[in-house]
Amino acid sequence: MRWRVAFWFLLPAFLLYTVFTVYPLLSALTDSLWQWEGTARGGFAGAGNFTSLFTTFPLNRQLGPAFWHTMAFFAGTMLVQNTFGLLVAVLLVELPVARRFLRTVYTVPYLIGGLVVGYLWSLLLSPTFGPLNAGLDAVGLGSLARPWLGDPATALPVVILVNAWQYIGFPVLLFGAALAGLPPEYGEAARVDGANAGQRFFRVTLPLMLPAIGVVSILTFIGSMNTFELVYSLEGAQGNQPTGPGGATDVLGLIFYRVAFQEGGTNAIGQSSALAALLFLFTFGIAVVANRVVRRREASLT
Amino acid sequence: MRARNGFAVLAVAATMAASAACTATGSNGDNGDVTLSVWSWRPEDAAVYKQIFAKFQESHPHIKVDFKPYKATEYNTILSTGLTQAGGPDVAQLRAYGGVQPLIDAGELVPLEGKVAGLTNFETGALDGIRGKKDGKVYGVPLEMSTFQVYYNQDIFTKNQLQPPATWDQMIADAKKLQAAGITPFAVSGKDTWLLPLYNDTFAATRYGGPDFEKKVLAGQAKFTDPEYVASLDVLNQLKPYFPKDMMGLGETDVQTLFATGKAAMIPEGSFALAPMKAINPELKLGVFNPPPPPGAVVAKPLQVGWVDASYGLNAKSDHQKEALELLQWMTTTEFGQQVADNLKQVSLVKGVQSSDPLLGQMVSAYRTDPTPYLMLVDFRYGTPLGSDLQATGLQKMLLGQQTAAQVAGDIQTGVSQWFKP
Amino acid sequence: MRGWRVAGYLLLWSYAAVAVAPLIVMVIDSLRPNTEVLSRPLALPTTVDFSSYATAWTQASFSTYVRNSVLVTVGAVALDVAVSLPASYVLGRFRFRGSGVLIAYFLAGLMLPIRLGILPIFYLLGSMNLVDSRLGLVLVYAASGIPFSVFIMSAFFRGLPRELEEAARIDGAGEFRVFARVMAPLVKPAIATVVVFRFVPLWNDFFFPLVLLRTTDRYTLPVGLTQFFGEFQTNWSALFAGLVIATVPLVVLFLVATKQIVEGLTAGMGR
Repeated sequence: MRWRVAFWFLLPAFLLYTVFTVYPLLSALTDSLWQWEGTARGGFAGAGNFTSLFTTFPLNRQLGPAFWHTMAFFAGTMLVQNTFGLLVAVLLVELPVARRFLRTVYTVPYLIGGLVVGYLWSLLLSPTFGPLNAGLDAVGLGSLARPWLGDPATALPVVILVNAWQYIGFPVLLFGAALAGLPPEYGEAARVDGANAGQRFFRVTLPLMLPAIGVVSILTFIGSMNTFELVYSLEGAQGNQPTGPGGATDVLGLIFYRVAFQEGGTNAIGQSSALAALLFLFTFGIAVVANRVVRRREASLT
Repeated sequence: MRARNGFAVLAVAATMAASAACTATGSNGDNGDVTLSVWSWRPEDAAVYKQIFAKFQESHPHIKVDFKPYKATEYNTILSTGLTQAGGPDVAQLRAYGGVQPLIDAGELVPLEGKVAGLTNFETGALDGIRGKKDGKVYGVPLEMSTFQVYYNQDIFTKNQLQPPATWDQMIADAKKLQAAGITPFAVSGKDTWLLPLYNDTFAATRYGGPDFEKKVLAGQAKFTDPEYVASLDVLNQLKPYFPKDMMGLGETDVQTLFATGKAAMIPEGSFALAPMKAINPELKLGVFNPPPPPGAVVAKPLQVGWVDASYGLNAKSDHQKEALELLQWMTTTEFGQQVADNLKQVSLVKGVQSSDPLLGQMVSAYRTDPTPYLMLVDFRYGTPLGSDLQATGLQKMLLGQQTAAQVAGDIQTGVSQWFKP
Repeated sequence: MRGWRVAGYLLLWSYAAVAVAPLIVMVIDSLRPNTEVLSRPLALPTTVDFSSYATAWTQASFSTYVRNSVLVTVGAVALDVAVSLPASYVLGRFRFRGSGVLIAYFLAGLMLPIRLGILPIFYLLGSMNLVDSRLGLVLVYAASGIPFSVFIMSAFFRGLPRELEEAARIDGAGEFRVFARVMAPLVKPAIATVVVFRFVPLWNDFFFPLVLLRTTDRYTLPVGLTQFFGEFQTNWSALFAGLVIATVPLVVLFLVATKQIVEGLTAGMGR
């Protein structure tokens, strides 16, 4: 391919992306190196904003739990959403009756968006007027009823489940597409060798699916690091207070939002940009490494 | 404001019009009419404001008012960006005390002394909520003050032969009686944590000493870790058995609904909640009282929590300064104040305005005789972390059994002392 | 073998029930008067009552919001695909000096919390007179989608067999012809994926329009909805009706398009 053509192919995407995404984000990152007075930039702060994240009380005490909640959110989502999503995708390949209908049904919750999902579930899970507890009562399981989003033990798991409920269509569709793309010869060969369904899945399908699983895992990781909207609409965010009962659902994305927009500190831009920079470096680093590993696997398979 | 244009010029010079983008959305109509855009965090009041501003237009036919409410939880974000750029409001509803300082410090608001003559229609204390901490100037016209107290359902009280309690022990005994009758005594939210500091002041300001403690702590003669204050935090713990079992899952509107639908007998709520609760159940017969002092209280009589809340101020970048000032001037008149009292069902601060609602009247007169501040909002929002955030977080943990009152007090003291100098 | 199949179907159908049950509750409760919703959370409507929809529809200009959401979302996704497709083709199929860096440059955007750029974006749009403009929103949305689009589409391009392209080139087709006539049609499933996965979050986004738009006439659906929620906090019946109104257009759209999407996804992959 000639250079000139490649250049014109790349230019529009490059420009649009650079001006409206990279420049603002870089600008936000450099903001982290300065002291701010509201929207006016003050003196050079160096690493001051970064160290202040870990020395300002109570921020320093919120970051640790929020980091672990974010990790738990990722792990929980992998476990619930992606594992179950893979199972569903495999079943859909093997069991053709009403396949398209089911796939659509699974995808519908994804369509309605974090805000609506949050509002909807906070109404459904309401301890006093919500249908879920009423339903448990009705079938004699009233003792299980609890303030799901108000109990430190259940709040984060419930948020993870609601999130999985919303996004299950994502792994189902992506894994479904990848499964359909697998060369059928492998499965046939294994079938001829007398392998049963389970053996075929673990020995043939799963290894071939690793690139797709890798892609989904990376996207899940990035999504988890940016989790905000659902927790926000389920549990709310008030001032600079950890979200959820006793801070049980506080995640890093929420801390950024609070410091940037809610707390009203004069140096909000500096401090929130510093947090964003750290978040970015962490997410970016992990994702780049993971992506490289996946690509290597992919290369060794083909 | 810092110039952000460097890169834009470089990258998109061709598409860029000369950028002098510093006009507010308010615009000139065909015949010299002006439309003022007014921002607020009270979407629930939109309909009433339409009537109120219709009154304004009767006497000011050349000025139209476009009322734009935003969701309260998003409002700070929207206003802080809106004031710095094109498309902002001409007149904006402002938070009080510490909440408005960042906007004042950034020079985004116009000081109103000498420009709005009607400021004399307010007591000086009423203007304190909207004064710049550094320059002492007034930056807004106070809209209303809020009080916080316990509402009770008269029908439930009558049915259970109860009176508003005169002593703490009486209140506890009443609560037990209600509980035995299958009614939640107090509809209290643990999810909307901003209410928790207000609950604390309502039930326990008498325990720590109310306005006297305020004076001492501001002078550096008292701390939040002092035994009286720690004991006051613990008061909510003692009341916990009479709160809903699921309180941590209940938001403000949930508990309002519990109360308004007769599932709970009492609710600690603000004057601002009167209209919404009546909207849920128009039949509701209400009474209010302030909780009697708990055992060991420093002050021997009930106190009324109150504070100046919202004001309206002028965007320094508004293109219609003159018209906006006319509107603000109108907001200082009894005509407007009476609208606030009668239709918004809030406590107007304009001198001479009488609340037509007897409950609001009762709240105001209680505040006149025995006031106590919403301590964390009035005095401890001038730096971060906000005192109210620290107290809310701590009280929630205390009610969940994760922290003791002493730990909560310690956290408040540690957090606040990072910026607060007596 | 048979038992295994039965168990499989049972699982698929019971999960389908879990997936739609909340939505059914949402629709049912929107048809019941508010007092009933609050007093008996789990009951069927005694009579079907559409008054909550009337309340929702007359109190909030939902038709305006829907039109704005369509304009902004369709515009942004179309622009996103139009610029990302050729870029992905180059990045997916050719290695040249700096191509690794370029790929990393594009993918970096996947890993950024885009909200973090909100203040600079606000100032940038201000300098271009694009605050309170749907075009500004389209540009920001399209740009923010480029990393995901490039990620997905370049992966698909990478997976295409080399022979096709070489055959076309031997036939004497120019670079652009090879791209437009041979390669681009082969990645239809990737385009479908991008369209679906970009359309939905943009349609549902409320943060950017909330900060970047000012005029009620330009509001998109989610912003209209947040305002509606503020105003009707305690009228659950109306809230549910509002949620239904906000959800229906997208579900209908998806149901209409799903045939093409799923067929495209599977058929394209199987080829």
